[in-house]
Amino acid sequence: MVPVSEQNAIDLKQVYLSLEGNAGMIEILHSIDLQITQGSSCALVGPSGSGKSSLLMVMAGLEQATKGRVSVLGQDISSMPENQLAQFRRGQVGVVFQSFHLIPSMTALQNVATALELAGASDPFDRAAQKLAEVGLAHRSDHFPKQLSGGEQQRVALARALASDPKIVFADEPTGNLDAANGASIADILFTLTEAQPDTTLILVTHDAELAARCDRIVNLRDGKVAERSVS
Amino acid sequence: MIALKIAQRELTAALKDRLHGFRILMLCLIFGVASIATIGSLRGAIEAGLNSNGQVFLGGDAEIELTYRRASPQENDWMAQQSLQKSEIIDFRSMAVARDNSKRILTQVKAVDAAYPLVGEIVLSNGMSLPEALAGQNDLPGAVVAPALMRRLQLNLGDIMQLGEQEFVVMATLEKEPDNFGNFALGPRSIVLAQDLEGSGLLSQGTIFSSKYRLILPNGADFDKAKAIFETDWATAGGKWKDARNASPGAARAIDRLSTFLVLIGLSGLVVGGIGVSAAVRAFVAKKTGNIAVLKTLGATPRQIFWIYSLQIIAYTVVAVILGVLLGAVAPFLARPFLPESLSAVAVISVYPGALLEAATYGALAAAIFSIWPLAQTEQIRPANLFRGGTPQSWPAARYVIVLVILLGGALWGAVQFSGSITMTFWLLGGISLALLFLALMAGLFQLILKRVVRGKALQGRLALRAAVSAIASGTERAGPVVMGIGLGLAVLAAVGQIDGNLRNSMTKSLPDKAPSFFFLDIQSGQLDEFNQRLSDNTEVDRVETAPMLRGLVTQINGKPAAEVGGDHWVLRGDRGISYAAGMPENTSLIAGQWWADDYSGPAQISFSAEAAEEIGIGIGDSLTLNVLGRDITATITSLRDVDFSNASMGFVILLNAAALAGAPHSHIATVYASEVAEIAILDELGQAFPNVTGIQIREAVLMVSGIVSSIASAASIGAIATLITGFLILIGAASASSEQRAYETAVLKTLGATRREILVSFALRSSMIGALAASVALGAGLLGGWAVNNFVFESSFEVIWSNAALIILGGVGATLITGVLFALGPLSQSAAAELRHRN
Repeated sequence: MVPVSEQNAIDLKQVYLSLEGNAGMIEILHSIDLQITQGSSCALVGPSGSGKSSLLMVMAGLEQATKGRVSVLGQDISSMPENQLAQFRRGQVGVVFQSFHLIPSMTALQNVATALELAGASDPFDRAAQKLAEVGLAHRSDHFPKQLSGGEQQRVALARALASDPKIVFADEPTGNLDAANGASIADILFTLTEAQPDTTLILVTHDAELAARCDRIVNLRDGKVAERSVS
Repeated sequence: MIALKIAQRELTAALKDRLHGFRILMLCLIFGVASIATIGSLRGAIEAGLNSNGQVFLGGDAEIELTYRRASPQENDWMAQQSLQKSEIIDFRSMAVARDNSKRILTQVKAVDAAYPLVGEIVLSNGMSLPEALAGQNDLPGAVVAPALMRRLQLNLGDIMQLGEQEFVVMATLEKEPDNFGNFALGPRSIVLAQDLEGSGLLSQGTIFSSKYRLILPNGADFDKAKAIFETDWATAGGKWKDARNASPGAARAIDRLSTFLVLIGLSGLVVGGIGVSAAVRAFVAKKTGNIAVLKTLGATPRQIFWIYSLQIIAYTVVAVILGVLLGAVAPFLARPFLPESLSAVAVISVYPGALLEAATYGALAAAIFSIWPLAQTEQIRPANLFRGGTPQSWPAARYVIVLVILLGGALWGAVQFSGSITMTFWLLGGISLALLFLALMAGLFQLILKRVVRGKALQGRLALRAAVSAIASGTERAGPVVMGIGLGLAVLAAVGQIDGNLRNSMTKSLPDKAPSFFFLDIQSGQLDEFNQRLSDNTEVDRVETAPMLRGLVTQINGKPAAEVGGDHWVLRGDRGISYAAGMPENTSLIAGQWWADDYSGPAQISFSAEAAEEIGIGIGDSLTLNVLGRDITATITSLRDVDFSNASMGFVILLNAAALAGAPHSHIATVYASEVAEIAILDELGQAFPNVTGIQIREAVLMVSGIVSSIASAASIGAIATLITGFLILIGAASASSEQRAYETAVLKTLGATRREILVSFALRSSMIGALAASVALGAGLLGGWAVNNFVFESSFEVIWSNAALIILGGVGATLITGVLFALGPLSQSAAAELRHRN
């Protein structure tokens, strides 16, 4: 994927993250300096417990860094209040989780439409239907998550994350809970849909080397620190 | 708008799931609202009955009451001019004697004239009319008596009954006497014609009786004006005015106090219900943390999140409140057959919108107060924390705390307005709040203690106990809501049981040791010597005390109307027993001032009860104007005495010097202390020798009062049980909420090799421990409350009523144990593999 511009989608400076655990405060991220160019794709890899998902959460504004500066799409979100963060995420940020995290009481169509409604779209359900069609689930739009397979649920989650054409897509182990076939399918959909929007930056956490290799860049984390960076 | 749409979607899904997770919330609200609506509706029904049937309950438009005398010819003329109709009733206590078997009991006699009743209908058992029955037969006048009197004297219709020296034929039993509503009497009713008592010796001068003149006023008469004319024209006559607007003030007061108390008990049930609401909302929020995290990730603002879930709570609340109000509106109709006769005769059962609105307001406020905190907590938490399974712990934003304080203030203000009593509201709600706080603290302390215990070695090798202790210590078994929920109801039951038991013990066990065996009334001066002689000749009699007895009304204090100075104090309310003495009576304890000389004959002096004087705000040097037999006597308080009523002995609040009253016609009273076995014989002997003298057996009077106290205790207990039922709902809710966790724990324990018996014992243990904690704390609170009330209010001794204590403990442990075991059976029967797969 060729970056459209040299503007950074993500700019982290001396970012630390400590969390309260049962045994006291644990330092998850340590002195992270990282810049990701807009329109590029970046894989965060590393062993379990290295802080990959936590770093993703910080970049997505879902977790607040203990120290340091977190800049997303040119805006400093380090100490942004919750209200402002929520509004910032609307329409600009899409997140895909390993456990899908669909709202169980809503149908596939409603799950996708919710994201569009929050973003203020004028025709959320039409666009949601369209997105579901793009991921191949037009025929399952009225089904509830418990009626869908794992692969189908992740496709709904993808549709929801990409429905409002966000500028950044964060994916935390998007194929982690899927079998190989489904995982490959999801990976294809993810890259196809994000590459269709040249401005879109993709940041994903994965254990899958093949998936990581599809990204423009791989960032290796170890013990909460950036160990090495490489281009694929 | 988006919040409304998302809330609608979630509600639709919840409906399809048959409101799982919300049933307890709704049941708590429904029950709490229905209780208050029912109590409020019943109160409205009784008030409506009192207001609309005032004329029937009074027996006329107005009533003038005189004590000790009948109206003078001038007074009769005045009444004839002011009214369209008049009826005279003479009310007094006497001894009714069955001629055939010589049994005698106290009876409350109503001697009427031919015009009675002016309003309402007296219903007799055999269908006779009252004039027919009172006409009598075989040259003897007739009497109508209450069924209780028939039973006690073993009379049949047509038998002869004696009142004083006069014989009457018992012609019928009394079924309905509408103008007797709310009147307390020690003896059952007898009705005779006043003219037939003329030879009886019962209405001689000095005898204690009251004469009541019922009047039918001209159509459209202004009651206020009529009362004002009476107060002017009868200023020195010593009469009391009552009219149909407040026909039975004593009963109205008692009903008002009781219903206020019951409304506030109902509120305590709603407070406990609120705990259930809070627990349900917390469980709801915990279950929705995943959804909340996703919605925040998608860009929903904290305020939108708050409203998405608040709108759902509001929807459930509205439905629950409506159902509760409907239930409360219908309940009085269903309860009508079970109401006591005295209330069902009065109550106008109908739908009372005010009472229903009151209940609905309380329900809505309770739901808002108890759900705002957990909902508001969702605002500040970050999505990542929620994805990790964290639950909101922080304080909500300041604006929600402000709203909560306003809602609490509103609820308190509403409680004061609706109950009409600031004092009772603050004491009761304050007590409930403190009790709940205490229960919550104890639950927290218990959890802390168990956290230490579980880390120690004491529980090693005891899997079931260790699993139970761990579950409570870790908060998986939520002890707090359960302890508060059932603890409050148990605490009220414990307190009521201890207070009632101690009060009845002091009345029926210790009081007879100190109290006299009899009070004798209406002893004429000429009979006193023989009376004393007969008793002193009786070796079974320990002690006799006599005193002159008159009745008078305190009309003025220091020249001003008494009510203006002393308010609604009981001494100033109605006429009082008054006595006089030359020398200071034996065992008198003077607190202040000086007793007059034995032969003092100067300006009238009063020795007043020190306690009553302090309450009224009067003291040495103040003057009282008493109206006795229609004449005003103004006397100065020159001493204050300690008057102890607790041992049921003779005690006069007001004592005058002998010269002030000795010339007035009066009778004497006596207290007689005798051995129990001799009581009947003494009563018979004195009854035959002095037919006009009334003997009140203290033992029987105490039993009657004891019965009344028990009725009040029963009413309070019913209120406590209503609170307890809500507590049980919370118990079920808590068990239900933790059922998923129990299922998972059961599956894991099974994979580790635990037997079903070990797992069941563990569940039973944790439930019993929580129940025992709730019951113990409740019992402690109940004992403390019982001691405080007995010590400071009734000023009597206190001992633990062990039967009540055991019941409380058994109740608490039993309820939690049964619930815990029932909810454990489901998880035990499930396959471990299926549960673990479901979890993955």
